[in-house]
Amino acid sequence: MYQYDAIDKEMLADRVAEFREQCERRLSGELTEDQFKRLRLMNGLYLQLHAYMLRIAIPYGALNSKQLRKLAFIVGAYDKGYGHFTTRTNLQLHWIKLRDAPDILAHLAEVGMHAIQTSGNDIRNITADPHAGANADEVDDPRIWAEAIRQWSTFHPEFSFLPRKFKIAVTASPADRAATKVYDIGLRLHRNDAGELGFEVLVGGGLGRTPYLGPVIRQHLPARHLLSYLQAILRVYNRHGRRDNIWKARIKVLVAGLGAEGFAREVEAEWESADAAQVDLPDLELARIRAAFTPRNFERLPAASSAFEAAKAGDPAFARFVRHNVKPHKIPGYAIVDISLKKPGETPGDCSGEQMELLADLAERYSQDELRVHYEQNLILPHVKLDDVPALWKALGTLDLDTPNRGLVTDIIACPGLDYCTLANARAIPIAQQIAKRFADPALAEKVGELGIKISGCINACGHHHVGAIGILGVDKKGEEFYQLTLGGSAEADASLGQVLGPAVPANKVADAVDSMVEVYLRERKDGERFLDTFRRTGLAPFKEAVYASAH
Amino acid sequence: MKALTGNNLADGEAVFLGHAGDWVPRFADAELFDDEDAALAAEARAKTQITIVVDPYLIDVIPSEHGFAPLSYRERVRALGPTNKPEHGKKTEGGEAIDALLHAHGAARSKGRVELIRRK
Repeated sequence: MYQYDAIDKEMLADRVAEFREQCERRLSGELTEDQFKRLRLMNGLYLQLHAYMLRIAIPYGALNSKQLRKLAFIVGAYDKGYGHFTTRTNLQLHWIKLRDAPDILAHLAEVGMHAIQTSGNDIRNITADPHAGANADEVDDPRIWAEAIRQWSTFHPEFSFLPRKFKIAVTASPADRAATKVYDIGLRLHRNDAGELGFEVLVGGGLGRTPYLGPVIRQHLPARHLLSYLQAILRVYNRHGRRDNIWKARIKVLVAGLGAEGFAREVEAEWESADAAQVDLPDLELARIRAAFTPRNFERLPAASSAFEAAKAGDPAFARFVRHNVKPHKIPGYAIVDISLKKPGETPGDCSGEQMELLADLAERYSQDELRVHYEQNLILPHVKLDDVPALWKALGTLDLDTPNRGLVTDIIACPGLDYCTLANARAIPIAQQIAKRFADPALAEKVGELGIKISGCINACGHHHVGAIGILGVDKKGEEFYQLTLGGSAEADASLGQVLGPAVPANKVADAVDSMVEVYLRERKDGERFLDTFRRTGLAPFKEAVYASAH
Repeated sequence: MKALTGNNLADGEAVFLGHAGDWVPRFADAELFDDEDAALAAEARAKTQITIVVDPYLIDVIPSEHGFAPLSYRERVRALGPTNKPEHGKKTEGGEAIDALLHAHGAARSKGRVELIRRK
């Protein structure tokens, strides 16, 4: 894992001291709220319905046990004992006091963490494939490149006041676990026919009020030119992006306006006119970053583990966990273990301080001190020996972290919604809780199979509803909570935007509507079809008929 | 009928202007304004209390079973705490005043949200 050097540490210490002084000036009345708001947002501190909310950056979703223990301490000392993992792989604390915020940031700085650029019109926290370094089909470790972008974009003066916020995701695997098609920039590392490492560059994806899948503007950018090319994209955006209308300010609107080819021409011209060598990472620096992600000493193990196989054969509950939460690792004898934060009835993405402590211990004992955050609001232990999976599973079960539902109907994404968020129109979490309870029987959830339900409490789409196989969007009908349903979305390699089913339904009819749609799927599905496949074959009609027959 | 609400500067808690001109955490202790002008005057005064309260605004209030409640659902969530966690927020106090909020049925767009988006 990348470790901050002396300069990084000094910058963070300075920033904490600066924010401490700004907070004091605000509390004394020397600064007005309008003056202070942008300063606190630059440090990830929002004011929400019940308290301040601190959004802590987790670059490419990677945490070590020391950081996790620090987060556990912070949620116990300064919050209500839990944190909320988001679709941007950040951690949000919902009950923060302004007067505590500088102390919390000082604690975070001790473990190389902060909340800088988790708000504002700048380059936000960089996300990457959470299976990085563990997955057999990746062509390189995407964290290396995400870390390079992180260093380049942090405090970048030219890109601190963009027309609007800016999000970059990196993957190095054909399976897209970083939702790269719905990012401002999606980077897909691959090798060309000559075997050279390069990025397929997608620009202008995004959700929100006007959702787009990002078009490819360059098929193969030699990897060494990543930073100069990003600079060119951001310069074109800074120059031509709209600043007069917040709803048209994201880069996706610019790309859609110019067309992908027109936008690409602008970028290429800008790129050619700049001195790439001044921006691109020197080989020595790239090697320094790469060294931080060099694989640890994996043991030479047989591909199969008799302890693992015996546990699977002897315990159906463990076998179910393996079916849904254990994924192949690139090293024989190891596995990637998914930890679901979606126990039916609980808040999706919430993790208690006690659970964080346990996970820190388990990461240390079983996963080379590494833990990852998946944008689907779940966690991952990336490097677990197959021999250790049964013991790990038992330990996870002591704190309800063994829910065997990754990818299933109960593995629901939900934004904080109207329970916490000032922007929300409607609640998202209780809708997720209602639906998950309907499918709480693990055998039923397994029968239904892969089905991504994604819920947002407003059109800003933090809950990724456009790319849910079933998407649910909370809307405000004269102050009442209604929910618009979309079908057929995906954020993965087969990315697509959902289609609106019909009129929005009231809050107490959403779970019934999902039930009806699942029934249609179970009736219509052919061998091996996921919900999404059946929908793509049948179209909206049978689902529409079922939902509006039962909902009204 | 109106009440005046905002968030405490120091801790962010949702608060209401009380009878004595102080800021109180319980909606049940909020001053209720029948008179529109008096409400607007109170709002204007509150906007000068920059070391105490952030972004004060008026909310509509309606009669409920055991008292009064904010008309907008969003404002009832602020007065009660998040609905996903029974153990968190102001609703844990229980009693008639909380019941009045829980049983209210009014619906309207929240001025707080509308203004927030307008300012964005």
